[in-house]
Amino acid sequence: MAASETSKETILRYAFGNVLSFFILVLIGVLAFSIRLFSVIKYESVIHEFDPYFNYRVTQYLTKNGIYDFWNWFDDRTWYPLGRVIGGTVYPGLTLTAGTIWWLLSSLNIPLSVETVCVFTAPIFSAFASWATYLLTKEVKGAGAGLMAAALLAMVPSYISRSVAGSYDNEAVAIFALIFTFYLYIKTLNTGSLFYATLNAIAYFYMVCSWGGYTFIINLIPMHVLLCIVTVMTSEHFASFLVFIIIHVVALVYYIKGILSPKMFKVAVTFVVSIGVVVCGAVLAVLIALVASSPTKGWSGRSLSLLDPTYASKYIPIIASVSEHQPPTWPSYFMDINVLAFLVPAGIIACFSPLSDASSFVILYIVTSVYFSGVMVRLMLVLAPAACIMSGIALSAAFDVFTRSIKFQLPGATENSERDAGETSSNSVVAQNDVAKTEKNEDAVKERPSKKNRKKEKEKENVEKPSVKSQIKKKLLILPLEASIIAIFLLVLLGAFYVVHCVWAAAEAYSAPSIVLTSHSQDGLHVFDDFREAYAWLSHNTEVDDKVASWWDYGYQTTAMANRTVIVDNNTWNNTHIATVGTAMSSPEKAAWEIFNSLDVKYVLVVFGGLVGYPSDDINKFLWMVRIGGGVFPHIKEPDYLRDGQYRIDSQATPTMLNCLMYKLSYYRFVETDGKAFDRVRRTEIGKKYFKLTHFEEVFTTHHWMVRIYKLKPPKNRIRGRAKKSKSKASSTTGTKRIGTKKKNPWH
Amino acid sequence: MASFREPPSLLLLLAVFSLALLSVSADSDSQRVSELLALQSRSKSGVIHLDDRSVSRFLTSVKTPRPYWLVVFFDATQLHDKTELHLKTLHSEFALLANSFITNNQDPESPSHGKLFFCDLEFKESQSSFGLFGVNALPHIRLIAPHQNPKESHQMDQGDFSRLAESMSEFIESKTKFVFGPIHRPPMLSSKQLIVIFLAISIWIPFAIKKIVIGETLLHDPKIWLVGSVFVYFFSVSGAMHNIIRKMPMFLADRNDPNRLIFFYQGSGMQLGAEGFAVGSLYTIVGLLLAFMTHVLVKVRNVNVQRVVMIVALFISFWAVKKVVYLDNWKTGYGIHGFWPSSWK
Repeated sequence: MAASETSKETILRYAFGNVLSFFILVLIGVLAFSIRLFSVIKYESVIHEFDPYFNYRVTQYLTKNGIYDFWNWFDDRTWYPLGRVIGGTVYPGLTLTAGTIWWLLSSLNIPLSVETVCVFTAPIFSAFASWATYLLTKEVKGAGAGLMAAALLAMVPSYISRSVAGSYDNEAVAIFALIFTFYLYIKTLNTGSLFYATLNAIAYFYMVCSWGGYTFIINLIPMHVLLCIVTVMTSEHFASFLVFIIIHVVALVYYIKGILSPKMFKVAVTFVVSIGVVVCGAVLAVLIALVASSPTKGWSGRSLSLLDPTYASKYIPIIASVSEHQPPTWPSYFMDINVLAFLVPAGIIACFSPLSDASSFVILYIVTSVYFSGVMVRLMLVLAPAACIMSGIALSAAFDVFTRSIKFQLPGATENSERDAGETSSNSVVAQNDVAKTEKNEDAVKERPSKKNRKKEKEKENVEKPSVKSQIKKKLLILPLEASIIAIFLLVLLGAFYVVHCVWAAAEAYSAPSIVLTSHSQDGLHVFDDFREAYAWLSHNTEVDDKVASWWDYGYQTTAMANRTVIVDNNTWNNTHIATVGTAMSSPEKAAWEIFNSLDVKYVLVVFGGLVGYPSDDINKFLWMVRIGGGVFPHIKEPDYLRDGQYRIDSQATPTMLNCLMYKLSYYRFVETDGKAFDRVRRTEIGKKYFKLTHFEEVFTTHHWMVRIYKLKPPKNRIRGRAKKSKSKASSTTGTKRIGTKKKNPWH
Repeated sequence: MASFREPPSLLLLLAVFSLALLSVSADSDSQRVSELLALQSRSKSGVIHLDDRSVSRFLTSVKTPRPYWLVVFFDATQLHDKTELHLKTLHSEFALLANSFITNNQDPESPSHGKLFFCDLEFKESQSSFGLFGVNALPHIRLIAPHQNPKESHQMDQGDFSRLAESMSEFIESKTKFVFGPIHRPPMLSSKQLIVIFLAISIWIPFAIKKIVIGETLLHDPKIWLVGSVFVYFFSVSGAMHNIIRKMPMFLADRNDPNRLIFFYQGSGMQLGAEGFAVGSLYTIVGLLLAFMTHVLVKVRNVNVQRVVMIVALFISFWAVKKVVYLDNWKTGYGIHGFWPSSWK
């Protein structure tokens, strides 16, 4: 009778634990969503940065024209005159997701704009991602670790940086898809259920639809399968599969033998075998030829730079030019995963004791992702979930040991202290631990009737046995009381530091939309809204079919906000085209005019930060224009722009630099602002202050001079003698050095 | 770059040179070329070692235009131990360049044969020649055209030997219009070594397969994997990839005080090698200690041992975290702060 009472009590406690963990998960979801709203509160509900504008534009198109038109969309507003097939070249996962949400809401008569839906997609999916983390970690090390990992993931800065409200990019949904796919994979491994395997395939498909990072999964899961086979963890399955296949082959052979005469059978065997050998040989030869014929041996540039980290910096400037492809230094880790960096090794060790299929998978995940993150800072995003899972496991294991030590050694603790402590303690950590045990047993109870398979029964026993054993053992494995109290205190302190850091990172570091900028000075807050000002000017004052040239960074924004045709954009698929624009920007005025004119460009847009001190302007990006341009058109030579190995725009600048289009368009009339032409980004006075433009005219400069728009002057339709005269005049102003080395227009 | 003080006796030496110049001017051009060819064939690397006397013989005393071009590498043995100058590497690359040029233009009929010679000068032996060229910093490579005198000859920029022999050859090609041909780098392994390695592997493979089948290799030991994964983690978080890609040195010498070494670089875009490994080990040690406490120490029977080890481990962990937080604030300059309710202030 006492036994029944205790069992009743335990059931009640398990129920209580389940409800509690449900509420904790709800709170984690709220936390994940709300920590990402700083950008909306501090700025406004606006789409951020560059790529999200493209996604936003695609989503708008989808909601307006429907899925079939979206699929067949050929965009003539970009990559003029080539255009771009959007439907076939885009990852549709994000767009379809947001489109579906919008459609669902509007069919429920909730009138939200497409922009609002796009802005809040990322925070919503962050909540989903933290729940997926809970599920994944629960499969590996129980519910306590799961809750801990989910809470950590809800506010890990690395993930926040890509998923604040307004950051409407592929990663927003892809990280959720990634974690969820991993969860379903492990669930499939643990249960062997076909249902989860099917779900896994669907989640995998969604992931592939969403993000180029799916290559990570596509390699990681087979690697894990291979590892499982090699290390003989599931060798029994493997052998059984092999036997299964062999039996069927043998049966087939006997069947055929039965229906054929012995002679015919021999002929058939030789026929099949020889055909098989020939086909295999041919396929192998073709494969080898294909791989050998490509200069990179079949690898793409980005993946090569992962394997040989020095590859990109040597050979592909367009990959090396992107700041998120740089290798991170140690402070990046502290910034992006913060104290998790300390906890991960403990998590790795916890996963090794004991090693199971699930835990070997997360080990493989952390090891590969941490290596890749060391090569490219952008892959820190893939590391973050792994770090959260590992840290969750480590923290959960640590709290488990320390709270147990306290529980058993508290003054007045009896044999039954475990139960008492669990009920009376207000410490949520203890509660979590109980929940962990609860869920494990609950699962076992729930699954019992559904298990008809004997193999599964055996597995379940395997799960249960160690837990019973470990409960007996655990009572002996304790640490000194006072040291455990200190340890718990320090761990809580560490967690508090993590929370402070994450909130700070979300509020201060990662919430700037970069389309609207602010700065604090003595006389208060300044808002720089020059980008939208410029795009609005373009959309109101230019013809619908006018072409606007700018460096590729501003392509997506120009098409989305100004609705004008651009030459290149952030989808850097055509290096030659980008190099053409780079060449134009680094050529002298006349040559640049010819290049732009041949591309039907009417307006040239440059971003200039010299007046307000905005550092990521075109002059700072200029070295990449020269490098990418010079990579395709060899008459652009980087040393011509360098003085002592540096790009300089002051009085030490080279004549080539002072005469190139980018310099002129950036600094035209700049001296009129303060009389000295002092560039606040480069912290120097510019080299050439007074000059006139011969082939371009200024049409618009924004309030803080951050965006300047120039119009190509129409070609002179005068007689030749006159043109010659003006040409000689022009060359006298631009210096004599260039005349001898007249450049050809690379576009022809 | 190292700098030299010009020898005081420079003028005197120059006077001596001009005397010597008069005396030997009778020699014909073809004689000089064959002499240079002989010197070149005598040298193992194909680089002719010059001194003050031979400089005057082949350069200053010859009437312009000379029938050949000279490329001169300025060397100083006393500076070979200064790694940041890369003199040794550059010199060996220079020798490689010379060798490749000679093998590519062996045919006496080819237009480049006997037209371009690679020479080197040593500072201690030929101080006056250094003065003659006006060289006061190393590394320094000069290309002397047939019609030029030493001071106005072309100097190779830093950028021209940044990619070693390849960029040097490009520089010379662009200035001389000689065709250089490919650079012949010696293969990493000689063919004999390759055969030995191949034999060793083919002998080893059957044993390896046997071991794998039995399941007795090191790879079957989870501890190896554990150590491996923790090491990969340590390696990555220490930013070692950054050091490899950017070729960062382990530490720098202080500009103001050369005896002091800088181990930590302020500014988050860059890090030094030693700095990365130091912080990487701080990152790793905390986790390792925590795991040690939760997985190993609990099994220890003696309570006092447990107590002492735990206190020490906690103290080290606390110190490591504090140190990293301090270093991070110092390096990045971020002021991380909490957001407290305004009524609390």
